[in-house]
Amino acid sequence: MSSSSTALRDLQSDLENKANDLSKLQKDIAKNHQVRKKYTIQLGENELVLKELDLLKEDANVYKLIGPVLVKQDLAEANANVRKRIEYISAELKRLDSSLQDLEEKQHSKREAILKVQQRSQSLQAGKAKA
Amino acid sequence: MASSRGGGSQQVIRSGDMEKMSLDQLKAVKEQADIEVNLLQDSLNNIRTATGRLENAFAALHDLSLRPQGKKMLVPLTASLYVPGTLDDADKVLVDIGTGYFVEKTMAEGKDYCERKINLLKSNFDQLIEVASKKKTLADEAGLILQAKLKQSSPSS
Repeated sequence: MSSSSTALRDLQSDLENKANDLSKLQKDIAKNHQVRKKYTIQLGENELVLKELDLLKEDANVYKLIGPVLVKQDLAEANANVRKRIEYISAELKRLDSSLQDLEEKQHSKREAILKVQQRSQSLQAGKAKA
Repeated sequence: MASSRGGGSQQVIRSGDMEKMSLDQLKAVKEQADIEVNLLQDSLNNIRTATGRLENAFAALHDLSLRPQGKKMLVPLTASLYVPGTLDDADKVLVDIGTGYFVEKTMAEGKDYCERKINLLKSNFDQLIEVASKKKTLADEAGLILQAKLKQSSPSS
């Protein structure tokens, strides 16, 4: 009978560990959502800027705010900068997408594993009660 | 209970499904819908504020265009310090287009920019109102069905 109670205790600690892992996964997923929200907003803003820049004539004056300083920039350079930023943000979003999928799969399998452990501990407790 | 079956075309959860759900599931659906409605209301308010600010900017631009060159004015250096100056060229304006970029535009282009942004925000606002009202009807339906079920399960009165 003592062997089954140690087995039960092992199952309990296993359950705790898995529950901790699950909550960490959920926190990671939430953080992923937050970062992805931030990037989506930045992407939208940069696309607006690009549209405005495209409407300008060749000789229009473009300035960039760097800290407290307004610096005159070349239109072509500003276009290139914004486009590069848009590319970078899109790549980051794709990366986040794949890592989110990965995290969600891990979360799903973790939940299944927890369920199995719970079932085993329940059957073990039922077996102990009978004996 | 005669509820509107297949009422909303875009509703993922139909009112028929809601009647089959348990009390807890229904409560979760209603809470989720309420949270979404609140989020959408916040976004609507943000758009309203932004549109208001753009309209102020437009009015200020228009006012500026009426002032003659060389007009005496007070220039704010800080929130409490103003310095006398004269209005130079009121035809060129610097427009903040986002992510730290500023563009020099003429008065007409600046006004056009403001109008374009205001129209963009107004169309976003209209789209958002549609989505928000659909969510609100869903939340209200869920609430009604929930209340009906609660009364059913506790017919003490």
